[in-house]
Amino acid sequence: MVTTGGLSLDQAPPIHLPLRFFLTAPWLAVGAGLVLVLQGEMVMASRWTPAALAATHLIAIGFLGQIMCGALLQMLPVITGTPVPRVGQVAPLIHLLLSLGSVLMAAGFLGAGAALLGIGAVATSLGFAVFLGAAAFVLGRAQGPAASRLALRLAALSLAFTVALGLLLTAGLLGWLSLPRFPDWVQAHLSWGLLGWVGLLIVGLGFQVVPLFHVTPPYPGWMPRVLVPAVFLALVVATILLLTGQGSKDEWPYSALALGYCAFGAITIGLQLRRARPRLDATLIHWWLSMGAVMAAACARWLEAPPELLGILLLVGVGVGLPSGMLLKIVPFLCWFHLQSRQVAAGRFEVRVPHTHLLIPERVARWHPLLHGLSLALLAAAVHEPVLARLGGLLLACSALWLFALIAGAAWRYRRVSLALR
Amino acid sequence: MDHLLDVADLPAPEPLERTLDALSSLPPGDRLLLRLSRQPFPLYDLLRKMGYRWEVSGQDGDWQICIESESGVASRH
Repeated sequence: MVTTGGLSLDQAPPIHLPLRFFLTAPWLAVGAGLVLVLQGEMVMASRWTPAALAATHLIAIGFLGQIMCGALLQMLPVITGTPVPRVGQVAPLIHLLLSLGSVLMAAGFLGAGAALLGIGAVATSLGFAVFLGAAAFVLGRAQGPAASRLALRLAALSLAFTVALGLLLTAGLLGWLSLPRFPDWVQAHLSWGLLGWVGLLIVGLGFQVVPLFHVTPPYPGWMPRVLVPAVFLALVVATILLLTGQGSKDEWPYSALALGYCAFGAITIGLQLRRARPRLDATLIHWWLSMGAVMAAACARWLEAPPELLGILLLVGVGVGLPSGMLLKIVPFLCWFHLQSRQVAAGRFEVRVPHTHLLIPERVARWHPLLHGLSLALLAAAVHEPVLARLGGLLLACSALWLFALIAGAAWRYRRVSLALR
Repeated sequence: MDHLLDVADLPAPEPLERTLDALSSLPPGDRLLLRLSRQPFPLYDLLRKMGYRWEVSGQDGDWQICIESESGVASRH
């Protein structure tokens, strides 16, 4: 007989805590969309413009950061069997600091004052620091598959580097310290954020969720063992070269990173094409759009396209698209599993718990990747035709609102059944 | 009597949903034989709380789980 350790919801935080993150995040993406609607040409003019920096941080912290933190606070304790200490206080604190931090930083970049930028950066850093403390506590006891465990740990370390570099950059912007070759520090900051924290997290989760959600063959055995440490090492080398003035973003470590992520994208799509059932759902379309964006970004780099195009492909294409697609699976599953557990605890088996496909119906969910894909295409095209940025921003805001409506709908259905189970 | 449920080709969380549906209509004293491609870890905690016992055999890619009520009477009626 095989010994079976169960995943127990007793270890997980109450569902309203992750939902708080998931219901807030789309509004920060709406904010980024509005910045594009109001100052689209400015955002596209250069990645250094205040409007571009505001939109970037609203997405990176307000949308992506919130979703990643909310999902991990729910998932890690269930996987490891180790609850996050005082999660009832810790999760709302992280949520508040990241929400406030992203809005204040965006306001600071948009001219509301250096003080707001500083306060926003400190709030964001504190939020991520509290999250990293909780993650370190739980990950230190993690069981789970070794490849994903390593990816999650290195992703957390990358987040710590991103935050530390961000604080230094803020201090530099406010004139508190002098950073020689300021753009190289910015390059290191965004490299650790996008290619380290976001990239490794997606790779680590992808190894698990792609075969699980789409019934594909597993990733080739060498991939988890090689890709994760190689990405981290390439980032370390790239940072050393950048910060010692010996390299630039065109150096070989970046070529290696582009190749590695391109391989992950191609293998992921290849596995999904071999899935057991040829069903096409919104999450799968999001995976294809995101992995397509990764490969397009690698090609754009080799073709020496403007860095703004790479930023849009990675930040909007992957950073907005993939978490959105994952939420369309995670939220219905969380609602369904919490309801099942409540039903068992209450012994109320006459109440019918809706299946996941009724919590977020597929026919309405499919509009989301369509809206998102259109906004991505327009924003990518706006690098050459800046006037398109306004329409792209409007569609980005619309797709974020649609995501909010889908999540809110699932939360409402959860609440209705939950009340019936009392 | 044994009832076979093959959910090996279904994406998560459909195997869990189908299993719980099948258990809700399992006649008293009968057993549910599940075939899955992965271990359904979230299911075990629910089964324990619902008063079922289970036995797992197989390996990665092909798992069989035999579920029956601990009292010999189905728990979800």
